[in-house]
This record gives sequence, C-alpha cells and structure tokens, in this order.
Amino acid sequence: MASEKPDKAAESFVFPPWTNRLREIATGLAIGGLVYAVVLVALVFGPENSAVGYAPEQPVPYSHALHVGELGMDCRYCHVDVENTARANIPPTQTCMNCHATIKTESEKLAPVFQSDATGEAIPWIRVHDLPDYVFFNHSAHVTAGVGCVSCHGRIDRMDVVRQEEALTMGWCLDCHRSPEPHLRPHEFVTVMDWTAAGPAEELGAELRAAHNIDPSVDCSTCHR
Amino acid sequence: MSRSDGTNKHPAYWRSLEELADSEAFRAQLAAEFPAEADVADDGGATGGGLNRRRFLQLMSASIAMAGLSGCRWPEETIVPFSERPAGYEPGVPRQFATTFELAGAVTGALVTSYDGRPIKVEGNPEHPGSLGAAGCFAQASVLELYDPDRSRGVARSASGRLTDASWDDFATFAAEHFAASAERRGRGFAVLSEGTRSPSVADLRERLLVAMPDARWYEYEALSRENELAGAEAAFGQPYRSILHLDRAHTIVDFAADLLHGHPEALRHARQFAAGRDPDHEMNRLYVFEAGYSPTGAMADHRIPLPQVKLPLAVKCLAAELFLTLGLAQRTGSESWAELLRPYLQHAECPEQIPALARDLLQHRGHGLIVAGPQFDAQTQALCHICNHALGNTGTTVELMPAGVTVGGSNRADSASVVPAGRRGFAGLRELAADMQQGRVDTLLILGGNPIYAAPADLEFAQALTRVKTSVHLATHRNETSLACTWHLPRAHALESWGDAFALDGTLSAVQPLVAPLWGGRSVAEVLSMITDTPGQSGHDITRRTFNRLDTGQDEVPVDSPAFEERWRRFLHDGYLSAADPPTTASDSWREIRLSAAADEGAHLDAQHFELVFCADAKVHDGRFANNAWLQELPDSVTKLTWDNAALMSPATADALGVAQNEMVRLDYQGRQLELPVNILPGHASFSISVALGYGRTAAGRVGNGVGFDTYRLRGSDAPWGGAGVTVTPTGTTYELASTQDHHAIDSRGFQERERRVGALIRQTDVEHYREHPDFAAHLGTHHPELVSMWTERESTEHRWGMTIDLNTCIGCNACLVACQAENNIPVVGKEQVLNNREMQWLRLDRYFHGEPDAPEVAYQPMACPHCEMAPCEQVCPVAATVHSDEGLNVMVYNRCVGTRYCSNNCPFKVRRFNFFNYQKDLTETQKMGYNPEVTVRGRGVMEKCTYCVQRIQNAKIKAKNEGRSVQDGEILPACGQTCPTEAIVFGDLNDPDSRVAKLQARQRAYRLLEYLNIKPRTAYLARIRNPNPEIAGGDAHGGHGGHDHDDHGHGSGGGDHG
Repeated sequence: MASEKPDKAAESFVFPPWTNRLREIATGLAIGGLVYAVVLVALVFGPENSAVGYAPEQPVPYSHALHVGELGMDCRYCHVDVENTARANIPPTQTCMNCHATIKTESEKLAPVFQSDATGEAIPWIRVHDLPDYVFFNHSAHVTAGVGCVSCHGRIDRMDVVRQEEALTMGWCLDCHRSPEPHLRPHEFVTVMDWTAAGPAEELGAELRAAHNIDPSVDCSTCHR
Repeated sequence: MSRSDGTNKHPAYWRSLEELADSEAFRAQLAAEFPAEADVADDGGATGGGLNRRRFLQLMSASIAMAGLSGCRWPEETIVPFSERPAGYEPGVPRQFATTFELAGAVTGALVTSYDGRPIKVEGNPEHPGSLGAAGCFAQASVLELYDPDRSRGVARSASGRLTDASWDDFATFAAEHFAASAERRGRGFAVLSEGTRSPSVADLRERLLVAMPDARWYEYEALSRENELAGAEAAFGQPYRSILHLDRAHTIVDFAADLLHGHPEALRHARQFAAGRDPDHEMNRLYVFEAGYSPTGAMADHRIPLPQVKLPLAVKCLAAELFLTLGLAQRTGSESWAELLRPYLQHAECPEQIPALARDLLQHRGHGLIVAGPQFDAQTQALCHICNHALGNTGTTVELMPAGVTVGGSNRADSASVVPAGRRGFAGLRELAADMQQGRVDTLLILGGNPIYAAPADLEFAQALTRVKTSVHLATHRNETSLACTWHLPRAHALESWGDAFALDGTLSAVQPLVAPLWGGRSVAEVLSMITDTPGQSGHDITRRTFNRLDTGQDEVPVDSPAFEERWRRFLHDGYLSAADPPTTASDSWREIRLSAAADEGAHLDAQHFELVFCADAKVHDGRFANNAWLQELPDSVTKLTWDNAALMSPATADALGVAQNEMVRLDYQGRQLELPVNILPGHASFSISVALGYGRTAAGRVGNGVGFDTYRLRGSDAPWGGAGVTVTPTGTTYELASTQDHHAIDSRGFQERERRVGALIRQTDVEHYREHPDFAAHLGTHHPELVSMWTERESTEHRWGMTIDLNTCIGCNACLVACQAENNIPVVGKEQVLNNREMQWLRLDRYFHGEPDAPEVAYQPMACPHCEMAPCEQVCPVAATVHSDEGLNVMVYNRCVGTRYCSNNCPFKVRRFNFFNYQKDLTETQKMGYNPEVTVRGRGVMEKCTYCVQRIQNAKIKAKNEGRSVQDGEILPACGQTCPTEAIVFGDLNDPDSRVAKLQARQRAYRLLEYLNIKPRTAYLARIRNPNPEIAGGDAHGGHGGHDHDDHGHGSGGGDHG
C-alpha cells in the first residue's frame, strides 16, 4: 500500500488522520459528561443546595426575629403541641389575636390575620420544613429527649423570614441518631436559642443520655412505616 | 383410623378439591407464585387490550422524561390552622368517639378513630356490652362506604322517568303540602316502608306519625328477616320474646343453622362468650352444629352434621322426641300427653344418628345447654327449641327472654306496644303492602332506607307494584335500583354522619353520633320523618336529645340550660351507651303445648334427582346493601374463599349426581323462576342441597358492585323465602370463572405425601382427652429434625422483642381481622381479574384447611400473616436491603429501597408477601383518599409489602410511653387484627417481658411455630386447636384423624417421622 501512490479518487474516501483522535475525544467527553452530570446532580440538586435556604414568602410577613429575638417569646407560646404531639402546630389565628386584638390593629401587614379572625377562614401558611410523605417525624419525642429546637431549625430568633437551615436528609438525621450527645441539653433549655453547655457539650450530652435513657434507634421502622 | 400415615389416598388436610386431587391446575398454581407474569401486564381490562413489555417501556421512558422537567422540589404545601381552634383538639392526633352501627336492628357499639376530622377506622367499643371491643366486617368496612364516590350527592325527583337534581328545599316545600293533605285524609293511602330498626327516636317519630295519620300504614321489611324467631317465642310463651343467649353459661350448645358465632346479630358477644369456654385447661363447652351450608360456626363445631335445610326441622323434632320420650322430660314437666305428639319422630328413619347421644349430653348438662334454630325455620321449630330449653331448665340461665321491639317511654323503658304489628313486618307485611299497591290503595309510599325493588321476593313484583303508586319517596345512601323507580330520591346520611340511637337486644341504649358533617348533604331517617311529623322539622341532634331525655326522665321537653341533663347527655355520648335499667325478663314458668305439624317440605325426598334450594345471607354483602364496598367484595369468604361472586354451592356428591364440575354454569328452576349461575363445589355441604347467597347481581349499586355475581332474589318467593325442595338443576354446558383464593399462596411442599404430612404440622389439633393425657402433643406433631445450626449471626433484641400468638382454638374465621388490617394499613383492592392472577393484596389471609373425607370434612382455620421470623429468609435474598431486621425483631419492609425483584417473596416459606403489580391507589377520588390512615405510607407500583405488626402503633405507643417517662405496658399496643378479634385469639406483646400475655401464651405447651425445621424462628406462634367431641358419638373421622391418636407414642409415629 505504502509504496503505491494512491489514486486521488480513492483518497477522498479515507478519513483524515486527525480523526484518529476522535475516539479518545468522544470517550473523554462521555466520561466527562457523566462525571459532570453526577457532580451537578449531587452538588446542585442535592437537598443541601436545593432545600437549605428555602424561605418562601408567607401570606403574613411574620417575623420570628421580632417576636422571638426581640420580644423574647417562647416557642411554645404558639407551637403549643410541640411537647405532646408529632406536629409542632402552626398556631390558630386566635393565638395571634391574643396580642393583636390590641396591638398594631391598623397594620396592613396583619390584614390577613384580621380577615381570618373576622371570617374564620384559615391563613394558608406555606410549609418550610417539608419531609417526604414516607417519613414520620415526631416532635414530642425529640423535644422530650432534650434536643433543642435550634438543632434542626437554626437560629429562628434571627430570621425575619423562616428559612430551612439544615438539609433534613436521612444521613443528617442518622448522624444525630448515631451520636446524639452534642445535641442534647437539659429539658428546660430546649427552646432557648442561644443556650450553650457550660462545659464540653459532649460530656453533658453523655450524662443526659445516660440519665434519661436516650437510645435513639437507627432502625428503618423508627421513621418509615 | 389414621389418615396421616401417608398411605391413604386422601391427605389429612387439604385446602381445595383441586389440591386433594392434586390436579394439574393446582400444581401450576403452586409452581408459579404470581402465576400471571408482569411482562404481559394485563391492566384488568381498563384499556381493553393488554400492555406488552415494549409498550410499557415506552410509556415509562416518556413519563420519566416528563418527570425530569417538573423541577427539583416537590410541590409547595400549605398548612391551614384553624382560625379558632376547638378546645381539646390537637392537629394530627387521632381521637376516638363512641358511636353505634345498626344493621337491621343489630347493634355494634363502636369507637371510631377520627384523624383531623376524618373518620378513618372503626373499632369495637370495649365497654359496650354488645361488642366488647370487637367489630365485625360490616361495621369496620363502613368507613369505605362513607367515602364511596358513588354515594348519592343530592335530592332528585323523577320527571318523565329520569331523575333530575333537586334540593332539600324543593322536597320540604313538596312535603309540607303533600303530607298536610295526607294528614287531612287521616293518612289514608299513605304507607311507610322502613328497614328493620331498633332506634327509639324512629319509634317515637313513628308513633307521632301514626297519631297524626291514624290510617297510614307502617311496614317493616328486611330481606334477611328474623320474624320467625319472634313468632316462635310467641307460640311457645304467648309473647314475642327475643332470646338473649349466654354462651358462656352453656356447656352443650346445639346450633341448627343459626350461625351463632358469625351471622347472628349478637355474634360478637356470642363469640367472646363461646371462646371463654374453649380453654382446654378448664372445662370445655361442646358445640353441635346441624346445617346445610358450611358456616364459620360449623367450622368451630365439635360435631357438625351436614343436613339439607328442609330436614333440619325434622332433626329438631327428633331431638325433642328423644328428650321428652326417651329421657323422661315429659314426666318431669308433666306433659306426657303433649309429648305423645312427638312419638312419630322418635327414632324416625331420617333422624340423624347423633341425636340420642346429643340428647343425653343435653340432659346431663341440664340448665347449661342451649338449643337454637336459625331464623329461616318456621315458628313451630323455633317454639320447639324454646320448649326444649325450658324443659331442660336452660331458660333463665343460658337463654334470657326480652320483650321484643323498641322500648320507649317512661323510666322503665319498656313499652312493647310500640312495635310494628306482626302482620306488617317481614314477608307477610311486604306481601300485604305489595297487594295494596297493586290494587291502587297506596297513593304515597315513603321508603326509609332499604332497596325493596332489588331485595323483595320476586313473586311480589314490587317494581311493577311501585309504578301504580303516584308519589314514592326513597331515602337511601345511594341512588340504587329503588331510587331510580321512585318519584323522589333523598340522600341518606351515613351512620358516621348522623345523630341517632338504637337499642341493643338486651335493652342497652346505644348512641349514634356523627364524626363528620354529611359529605353530600344527606339526612337521617329520623330527620326525614321529622320533616313530616314536626313543624318545623327538627335536626337529628335535637331529635336524639329529645328521645334521650324522654327515656331518661320520662319528660317530653328537653330542659333548657339544665346542667344535670347536659352532664347525663355528655356521659351518654362519651360512653356510647346507657345500660338497661331493667334486668331481662324471663318467661313465665309455663310454656304452651304447641301443635305439631310437618314443616314445609319436611317429608320431601332428596336424592340424586331431587334437590333443595337454600337462600342464605352473604357474609360479605349481607342482603346486597354492601355490594358497592370493595373491601367486602374482595374479602375471601371464610369457607368458600370466593371473592367478587356468589355461586351455587353444593357438595361433591351433588356435583357428581348432576355431572357438573367447578365453575360450570347450571340453570336453577325454582317455583317457575329461573337463574343461571356457576357451580362452586363446597366439601361438607349437605348433599342434594344447593345453597345460593343473596345480595349479588346488583344493577344500580355503583361502580364496584354493579354486575358482580348473580341476583338470586330473582329466584326467591315470599312463601318460601329461605328455599325448599323442588328445584330443578340443569347444566348449561358453559363455564364461568370464579375468583377463589383457596389455592392462592399455598405454603409449598414437596409432592403429595409431603404436603399431607406438612399441613398436619402447620395445623395442629387433637381432642381434649388426648390433650389432657399428652399436653405437649403439639411439639410432637412437628417435623423431627437434627439440631439446628444457624448460618447467620443472630440478633439480640435487648429492649423489646415483639411477638404474637394466634389461638387456633378460638379463631372462628370471621374475617374481622382481615378488614381491620385493610383499613389500618391502606391496603388496596385489586379487583376480580387481579384476584384471579393471585394478586390480592390483603396482608393477612385466613387459611382454611379441610380435614377428612370430602363429604363431611372438618374445617380448621389458620390466620396467616408475616410471622416476623428472627432468621428471616426474605432478608437474606434482598439485593438492595429493602427488607431488614429491626432491633426489636421486626422484619421491616423499606418501601423506598424496594426495586421489586420479588426475590423475598420467592424465598418466603409462608407466602405472606404481597407485590404491587400496579399503582392501585392512583385513580382514587379525593373523598376516597380521605379514608386513608395517615400513619401508614401509601405504596406505589413495583413495591413489595407485608404485615408490619402494625409498626405505626408500636412506634406511637413507644413515643407516648417515653414522653411520659415510663415503659410500654403489656396490652398497650394492639395491632389492628388483635384489637378487633371478637374472641381475642390474636395476642401481641413483648416476649422479653415474662409477665406479658404473649410470653405466657408462648410458654404454654399448646404453642408451636410453623416450619420450625427451617430454623427461621418465626415470632408468631400458634396455639394448637383442641376439639371436645362427645365420646359417645363415634365417627372414625370425626375425632380420629386429628393426628392426636396417631401419636400415642409421643410423635415418633407416622405423622412426624421425618428423621431427615
């Protein structure tokens, strides 16, 4: 082949030499694309990115920073069921009106509250911390065990608009279920946002864990039914 | 004697005739776990053709592509708190309210769980004397009925043959004018047709109506009428008493097709009381059942004698003759001359051979016996049972007699004058009404509930008669067959939507209170009556309070602002009942010497050419009113295992005589009326007798019930409503596919001999004599195996070790646990086609084994759900760890990990895993979704599921206990099946707690575990069944073949000889 001069017409059917690299390029692109896709999905669409920071606008611009941070209201003034039931209830309009019957009665921002109070229609609050339907989380179990609100919800007392602070993924739940000590506190401080243990949190946590027989399960059926 | 030695031609235990014959079909069924494979996925006819794999993948890829576009966050959810939160209400916390379900005058006191205002689960009220914590299938399935999308959604009036929508206001306007005019005519031409009810409010309104319109007529009709019972008591005592039976006080119970434990209105209480007498470590009661069909009560019998129904009155007479003439009751009661009337029946040729021994048993346990005949038998037969009971001294102990009817007025609450007159009840009443309608004497007919066009005997031609009534008003939950033929249809409020009340038979006043406002604007019977009798019409709440006040104080007016009244009223609603003020009355000490004549068709000759037809109640749809309830339709019947159909039930001998096989169609010709329906061969059915269940073949039931089964009312005549001799049976040569689950999920076995031996090991039973000699017999009935060595590291459960026991001795096969499980765990219904494909989804199945010869076998029940093996074979084969073990020993199913390989199910020896071949929950309407239990995940397509031991209840109880700083108490966790079990046969608890009920039961010698030799260590143990046959009644098969007598050498004999 090499010794004979190829004929011009035949030569036009031969792939040019640079195409020899096409296979490598294509393979590289395919692998690179796959890695890119995985990284993209893992990093960008993962709950750490897609869920953390979720802060929908609520029908009433209720500020936890004002009510909890500045005025010092306890979480349980509104979320009365948190110690007894699975859900930390959203308060009924009635609870708002305990104060707002006399305070800021002309506020435009509170208009939906006054309207709800007058008509009995509910205020459609938007859920921020939305677990999948096959997860059965129970607030009372955690609060009773001495897990502070702040552990999952962050510094609510500094939020004007409530945002999701933690990823709330299963791995995140399991981290704590496997070693709950850093998140345990005496029961009376559960709702205190800026509480810190006097000594090392781990030691106190271990004491509390032993004292209250706190043995979080990592069985699937703990949360999935 | 032995039939478990492996040499006989029949196995000891068998589930179906196919298995007995080891047919090809059965082998194929056993080989293919889910016989119809998913690669040609049949969608049940919804799209006409099938769906092949290629098309399926196309659809799947399209839907995945579309799913990808819809974003990374699931839809925004809103939380809508109350504006003003009701006191005591906590969102998301289930609350229970006491209420009552009334079915044709039978009362179930219930506790209904409400979740955020939605009733989701019905359980028995533990304090109610009639239910004692249990609830039957009907009451439990009523939740599904509440959310039935086919329920009537508004008032309608008929214009030129079609129903057009109207409103309650329209009806109120019409009613005010129309009924005022009726009242002016003293109600002449006005008739009311009511369902059977024992509501004092309705009785009160009836009286008010009849005062205002004295010439109006009030009729009461139930297709499954119990009129004969009252007539029998009247014949015997001169008063139409109702019997209150106390099975706990009875030693010898004789049931003539009365189905005391299952079909009887007081079955729940009977079952509990019966079970109390079945502890083999104490004195056991003894149950004799004579019946044509095979009822669950028959399955519990120590002696079940299959007899054609027309021969049962004869058997009663034989028994009476034996008692009075041979055993001297005549002399004892001074009724020698009357007793001579029984002489012809003494040792009558057609007397069952067991009668003399039975009579001696009754005499020996004088005062502790009980003889009951079902409501299908004539007054004379009923009266004869009463007379025998009375003469034996049973009346007053095992039988108490209560004045019949609803008792209203005064503090003693006894006023039997308020009963609908006998001539206007039952079949006689309906016949009179139909005749009046035919002759144009009725111009206005008010039908309160019921469905007479469908459920009236065919000879009355009710539909035709109704066309002659100018104004007909029908109150019903659905726009059913009758609604479509009436001039007005009114939507009826469901029991869970209405106020009301009902008297239990023993005089307990039970409260009916709404759990939810009427979803579709329905009103109750009392409210509609009040629109006619009161001006203005009262609300159900006010009517019920008025009645309660009247019963409580005798006053007519409800006191305003009376704290004392309010307290009593609230207590009544809280408890759900008010106990009877008076103890039940017993009859006077004399009975009447009734005349004896031959009962209808008593002398009929039955043989291979002459058959009898029996109409029977259906355990699933009752008289047809539950036909649109998918849970009930898909529930396999306790004995036949039929779903979604009724059939002509007959014994193998009858089928042989007719030359027909299973699923072949036959034409029944009875009293000149014909019906074709398929044959279902039922071993143990009386020979030359064919029984057909009522309640199927509805045409206007709704999307579930329309066209399911065959309408046997078309055969029924009002003169012989329970059937009789003289039916002609002609095979038509065509076949029909019946969806029976009897061979589904059969626990596998190697070949015929093996199966025979192993089923003996699955069901272990013996008779009480043998048990007392060898209390450890159950252990010896198992397969013998070398010492078991585990391949795996066993997990220790340190804190809780959940376990369950099921007592086969008290399981009556009532199916209540199946419905409870279905309601609690959001289990889908799959439809007849999918049941035929073995794809029914119930987590709990009731295995029914026959034992003995096919013409008179015994039945043994075994409820079978996942037994949570400690060394679970399913876990070992799951490639994705979707089924794993928890610290507490639960075999947990993780739906989100499951990829649907079904390996677990293949490897499960008990066949208790269920696979979602389709997204069964996809097309449900919003109202249907309201009935879901929010505590349990709703599973999608492609996911395996199975019994979880009600893990949601375990977790919630644990959290509650932990929050309160205590440990979980024994009995605090009740799985849905165990909660509702009428006999408390299912007990759940912590095996680590030696004082728990379950630990004590598992330590009993009767306890055994299934397939122990596989070393899988199931957590559910069974307690062996002990029968108590009469030693005087021989019958090789009746008590010889339990395996018991084969094992006098402590089990190293034939039955357990697998030495490996």
